[in-house]
Amino acid sequence: MEKKEIRENREIMKNSEAYEKYLNTTHRLGRLMTALVLLLLLAAPYLIGLFLKAVPNLPAALKAFIGVGLVYLVSCIAEYLIYVPMLGAGGSYLAFITGNLINMKIPCAINARDIVGVKSGTPENEIISTLSIATSSLVTIAVLAVGVMLMIPLQPVLQSPVLQPAFENVVPALFGAMACKYYRQDMKVSLIVLAAMTLLFVFVPSLIGSTSMMVIPSGALAIVLAYLSFRKGQKGAEA
Amino acid sequence: MELLSKLNSPVLYLICGGIILFVAVICLIFAVRAYRMGKALGIDTGKMKRVITASATFAVLPSVGILLGVIALSGSLGTPWPWLRLSVIGALHYETQVAEAASESVGIGGLSIANMTPEAFVTIALLMSFCIMWGMVLVIIHGKSYCNKLRGGSEKKTDKPKEEKKKKLNLKGFGDTAMTAMFIGLVSAYIASYIGTIVSENGRFTFTGSWLPLATALVSALAMAVFLRIKKAFHADWIDSFSVAGSMLIAMTAAIFLGKLG
Repeated sequence: MEKKEIRENREIMKNSEAYEKYLNTTHRLGRLMTALVLLLLLAAPYLIGLFLKAVPNLPAALKAFIGVGLVYLVSCIAEYLIYVPMLGAGGSYLAFITGNLINMKIPCAINARDIVGVKSGTPENEIISTLSIATSSLVTIAVLAVGVMLMIPLQPVLQSPVLQPAFENVVPALFGAMACKYYRQDMKVSLIVLAAMTLLFVFVPSLIGSTSMMVIPSGALAIVLAYLSFRKGQKGAEA
Repeated sequence: MELLSKLNSPVLYLICGGIILFVAVICLIFAVRAYRMGKALGIDTGKMKRVITASATFAVLPSVGILLGVIALSGSLGTPWPWLRLSVIGALHYETQVAEAASESVGIGGLSIANMTPEAFVTIALLMSFCIMWGMVLVIIHGKSYCNKLRGGSEKKTDKPKEEKKKKLNLKGFGDTAMTAMFIGLVSAYIASYIGTIVSENGRFTFTGSWLPLATALVSALAMAVFLRIKKAFHADWIDSFSVAGSMLIAMTAAIFLGKLG
């Protein structure tokens, strides 16, 4: 088994020139394709707007971006810094194009790596990650396409007024699930922040209509409390 | 309802389906190139085939979970746009939060087809694309140099003084905590707003506001707790693929019945 691995590694070294060329082309292709997809995603709302005879309200979009978008800006930077080393070049371009990183692409790539036993930063990892992420993305695209096609005959049912309370409460449904998931990770911070924000909304009800903006003080309070708790934990560990 | 029909029209399927098809072609190109390079490098083709089969199998269950997300969003945004967002780049929790924030900013109150206007829809759609594009932007402008640095950086790492290393590890530790805290803050703002709605929506301490959003959130949290309990009891890690979408669908179904009560 070991001899086989050594033989494989030697062959890999022999092909290093071809591999360098492959990596350079991957970056060129990856950049070009990512830029094109980005352009298409930003253009699509305007294209749909032509059909609906409407244009996006940019000041409103900016206001919402300041509210929740900044949280995701930080989250995207963290994901980029953490996951690129795991995924390699080809895998990273594909993963950032196709999304669903934490819930699918990363576990899938790690699973593939474990199956064949490769290490980060090796040419094998580059190939295996790319294959894994490309395959999982194609499966998702296929499953969703089939599912959406099956949903088309169900449109009248989905648009029925009886089901409207369900679709009008999609956001509370999401936050309930997320609260259960995140609150258990730091119950003390969660309860303090929830209590503080509840008092704020109860005493200043006009803020209810701008909840997305209130994410900023709420997030800041949670981070400060988490930092204090983190420092306290560290001091305790050092003592 | 007329707008919802437009949002489900063939034109939108064509626009969204076209982009999805383009992304599928990109995936195919990358997969074929990687397979050929793997062969040239002498990587066992059996290994690569095993990776393809394992990844395809692995992706089926989470994909069904993502499809449930498309169903959850289809009532307020139509089917084609959530189909695009969740096939390419997006994730259910992100899409819903951004869509809600955009709905508020554009003045329709919340994410609901009843108040949706064409202008609100295209603003929501633009914001959904804009807010999560940073990973793509970074990989375009910095991906190559970052990958190259990672390939050549392993020796340098060992020269770093221990104290500096320790400090970095500590900061990384807080980075994870800060991310969790940020999401706690985000979720708390919304849950608190549902409590505030009940207590003071129609005037301070009148207790006449709608309780349905809070009740839906509670049912969803309960369903999530059950999913987490099942996961722990039966070591069923696969349940993670369904827990968020599953909890949401259970709570949304509950909202239909709870709505009739009040």
